[in-house]
Amino acid sequence: MGSNRNISLPAGIMYKGGPAFLTYMLHRVGGATLFIFFTVYVLSLLGLGSMRALMNNWLFLTFILIFGLFHVINGLRISILDLWPKLMLHYRSIIQVEWIVYAAVAGCALFLLFTRTFGG
Amino acid sequence: MEVTVRIFRYDPEKDQRGHYENYTVEAHETDRVLDVLELVKGHKDGSLAFRRSCAHGVCGSDAMRINGRNALACKTLVRDVGTEIKIEPLLGLKVTKDLIVDMEPFFDNYKKMLPYLINESPLPVDGRERLQSPEQRARFDETTKCILCAACTTACPSFWASEEYYGPAALMAAHRFVFDSRDEGTTQRLEILSETNGTVRCHTAYNCTTACPRGIHITEAIGELKMAMVTGKLD
Repeated sequence: MGSNRNISLPAGIMYKGGPAFLTYMLHRVGGATLFIFFTVYVLSLLGLGSMRALMNNWLFLTFILIFGLFHVINGLRISILDLWPKLMLHYRSIIQVEWIVYAAVAGCALFLLFTRTFGG
Repeated sequence: MEVTVRIFRYDPEKDQRGHYENYTVEAHETDRVLDVLELVKGHKDGSLAFRRSCAHGVCGSDAMRINGRNALACKTLVRDVGTEIKIEPLLGLKVTKDLIVDMEPFFDNYKKMLPYLINESPLPVDGRERLQSPEQRARFDETTKCILCAACTTACPSFWASEEYYGPAALMAAHRFVFDSRDEGTTQRLEILSETNGTVRCHTAYNCTTACPRGIHITEAIGELKMAMVTGKLD
């Protein structure tokens, strides 16, 4: 205890940082999700049958849509605020808008996915 | 009313690792968490160790994690956190004892920002002040409010990952001088900030802004530093 820095992954995740910290963590999960997606995609292009099957699996695609889409939209928000730092004064409102946009886009995307998968 | 406090305890002379102990004290809802700690130390367990000084939010000595979030104990009221209070030391710094952490890495990073006015120009003709307009003074006013409590830096995920990252407080010190019209060390400081452990490590988690007891818009100020580095302009 005396030699370490009083930090661990669980301690960091449990820190009560608020909505912005949640988006920070989800952005990293989203990044890992996109990495998994592109790996599976490239392997499927190389002819691996199991990867092709995974690319057509609705559960896998749902997972990718939910987290990958968040990474994209949150990334846009970060880029906008980086270009206009004065907007950071309103970061709470901007994050609320981001969640609304994400919900709308993800909702539409999931609707299309489920319609094609189960709609016949 | 009865308040139950769960406090992180660690005595380097006795303990291999930290543990939590519960105490129950009588407190008013308008009492501060610092008052509760004083009650615990005065009446329950005199061995409890924590830093405190001014007790009214200007010295920054008593920054700690209260119910999972960094705050000053002297500015947090019992009614703000409820009757079940969990108190822990700041994250990312070595625990010396109980709620006291080693602040040296934090101050080392602060010193790297050259936190003093750099001006080699000749003194004004009358030998008095280097003048500055109210607008020029207002430009960096916010970042002069920092009390170096470390609440921001120890709430930063990048700092948790590595104490080499300068951290929000050090970046605030840099901002205070970079945007000071009297200072001539801007180029020097921006070079320091452009290093691996500088502003590039800020990923806008906003924990610093949320934790700051002085209400400084830290993430915005770091964003201004990033723009200054990219554009070469201070406007």
